[in-house]
Amino acid sequence: MNGTKVRRLKAHRKFRFTNEDLWGYIFIAAAMIIFCVFTLYPVINAVYTSFFEYKPFGSKFIGLDNYVETLKYSKFNLFYKATKNTLIYTAVVVPLTLLISFSVAVMIIPFQKKIQSVFKAMYYLPGVASGVALSVVWLWLYDSSPDGLVNRLLGVFGIPAQNWLSSTKTSMLALMIMALLSSHGTQIITYIAALLGIDNSYFEAAELDGATFFQKVRFIVWPLVKPTTLFLLVTGVIGSFQVFMNAYMMTGGGPDNSTTMIGLLIYNNAFEYGKYGLACAQAILLAIAIAIMSLFQFRLMGVDVEY
Amino acid sequence: MKKILALLLACVMVVGLLVGCGGKTTEAKPAETKAAAAEQTPAEAAPDTIVIMAPPVTGNYLANLKVWGEEFHALYPNLTVEVIETSWGDHNDKLSTMAQAGEAPDIAEISSGALGTFVEMGVAIDIAQYLDADRLADYDANALEYMSLEGTVYGLPLYLTIQSIGANKTLMEELGIDVAKIQQKGWTYEEFLEVIQKGTADGRFGFVFANSGVTASDMLNIFGAGAGLSNNFTEDLKYTFTSDNMLTLLTAIEEMTSSGYMPNYGVEAGQRMVMCQTGNAMIFGKAMPLFENNFKKNNAALEANDGTAVENSLKMDYAFLPVPTMMGCQESCYGTVDGLIAMRNKGTTDEHLKNVLLFMDYICSGDRIAACMNELYLDPVCQTGRDALVLEEGRDEANLATAARCIAMVQAPPAGVTAEMTATAKKLMDEQIVPKFQLLLAGETTAQEVYDHICEAAYAAFGQENCVSGKIG
Repeated sequence: MNGTKVRRLKAHRKFRFTNEDLWGYIFIAAAMIIFCVFTLYPVINAVYTSFFEYKPFGSKFIGLDNYVETLKYSKFNLFYKATKNTLIYTAVVVPLTLLISFSVAVMIIPFQKKIQSVFKAMYYLPGVASGVALSVVWLWLYDSSPDGLVNRLLGVFGIPAQNWLSSTKTSMLALMIMALLSSHGTQIITYIAALLGIDNSYFEAAELDGATFFQKVRFIVWPLVKPTTLFLLVTGVIGSFQVFMNAYMMTGGGPDNSTTMIGLLIYNNAFEYGKYGLACAQAILLAIAIAIMSLFQFRLMGVDVEY
Repeated sequence: MKKILALLLACVMVVGLLVGCGGKTTEAKPAETKAAAAEQTPAEAAPDTIVIMAPPVTGNYLANLKVWGEEFHALYPNLTVEVIETSWGDHNDKLSTMAQAGEAPDIAEISSGALGTFVEMGVAIDIAQYLDADRLADYDANALEYMSLEGTVYGLPLYLTIQSIGANKTLMEELGIDVAKIQQKGWTYEEFLEVIQKGTADGRFGFVFANSGVTASDMLNIFGAGAGLSNNFTEDLKYTFTSDNMLTLLTAIEEMTSSGYMPNYGVEAGQRMVMCQTGNAMIFGKAMPLFENNFKKNNAALEANDGTAVENSLKMDYAFLPVPTMMGCQESCYGTVDGLIAMRNKGTTDEHLKNVLLFMDYICSGDRIAACMNELYLDPVCQTGRDALVLEEGRDEANLATAARCIAMVQAPPAGVTAEMTATAKKLMDEQIVPKFQLLLAGETTAQEVYDHICEAAYAAFGQENCVSGKIG
């Protein structure tokens, strides 16, 4: 007992605010100020605003009304439909994106460094283009007339022209295809970096044991890139929950609200209808949902992950 | 030394970011200065800056606005005009964001449909307090109604724009259709159906309407005018979209979509006129009188063969047509007013608002508005504008007369509609009616199902007692 007290006292005495500490705090201050101004303050302000019927000159405190309005079930409350749409979109796009990115990265890795760079640049290029520009191109591709590019392609295989963005049967699929084909440059590069970090001795040992390509991927590569997969999964789900521009630019949420995502709903409430308080409440609920999802993913997948 | 250098760089980065964010604060200074100045010196002499935010209402509007600002400054040397230029794409979002932050421009361009949102927000200003009554009387009462809510005038109208349908006049006449009669006397839906049937041929639709995405609401509004649904509310303030007229309108559109006389797939806004100009459609919507100019320019480009004409387009004349009537309803035309509203911001004072209204009135009237209307092929909605208007030569007389006839048929929203009612009707339209209507256009539901859904949603929003049942008009 006495020994523990002495150790604690010694530890107390050891801590002195040195010149080095001061410089440390000064340097992290830059990041902290940016974080406080651009992240912490907006979050606190959004929480605060969510309890008000916001007006620029005289907001009215309404307690939890915005949350109640958001969560109150009604056939005409779009929050639930938007949540369902966002979940479906996330459930399809995120795992498929990871699978495609992982497969492409595995296929790129055997090449020489220069060729790898060429492929990396090619896959990353769509990420450099503005999302709006990409949407315009996709709008052109999805032209619903029989002369539309995708429809012509389908025509070659004898499939009738589709009303891509104006039919509930194809609108969500169209957005998913767009997301799957234009947004995995970052994931591929991250996977390649992870693959390069795997020690060659594992592969040499596997080859000595007569392992096939797929066995090497299944028993060496996949487990060793699991931290990367977890990271990409969590960030992918967060990004997917916040998806906005695809629906805004391509369909406006229609038809029959089949592509209305939570991000679009929040945007409409804030900027179309001027209901900032309601939009903030919905954004807070979205943040809570994302936090729970992320926690769940860490619990589920992060058990045997070491950093 | 290294530490000091690193610290300096970090400071520069943080300060740079914060200065970037603080741009608005710097902009707000003139407002503070002007408020202080207004207290110290007589209003006439106090220097003041008026900020106006507008999209390109016409091709030359933003350039003209700067010229008019300078002319205004020459007339009132203490008043300076600052123009914030926006594009049509970002104007509403930018305005909404600035207004919500209490940093709205003094004057902003809006469509009358958005007025309710800004009134609800508490940033729109009752302009009658700051503008002489005789100047207000210069504007047509019908157009002013659009810029008013619950008897309060919040802005001045720039123009009353009419939206209807347009056509390849040359082809229609070749097919023996009496275009002049349609333009002069209007037509019924049954006659319209016959005409588009006649206009349908191999590789050509009789009719095409841009109905993809949010543009679907245009079809409801434009054809709704012919079905007695010119406004969301009746004179006794009951919601109109639950009437039998709505079911008739939806049934007609269902019939058009399934007839094969118009495409059964989504058509983007930019495609409709091109389809007409390339001979892939005879009649198209939405259309406005000013499209005559596009057709003329295209004809000239085809003659000059300079490569600027629409690819594969044909030479043709344009006819602006009235919308067909349904159920024996009185002929009408869908119109909206675009105008300028005065907005409250953190630096607003009474003296400043007088100056703001002085400039707003200056650019909404006289030679200024006449120049705009000449570009838009529309009639001014104020007397001084009409007096100053000198029509450009070469305009089609029949289109001019049809546009004038249609403008006269536009029905202003009834008095007594509140900002809350307008906002609810807009949300109902955006979130319930248009999405279901898109389904109808895609052939995935029936007119009756859409109508039932609209009734159910409207009853939930307004109460059944505040919605029309039966026929209007």
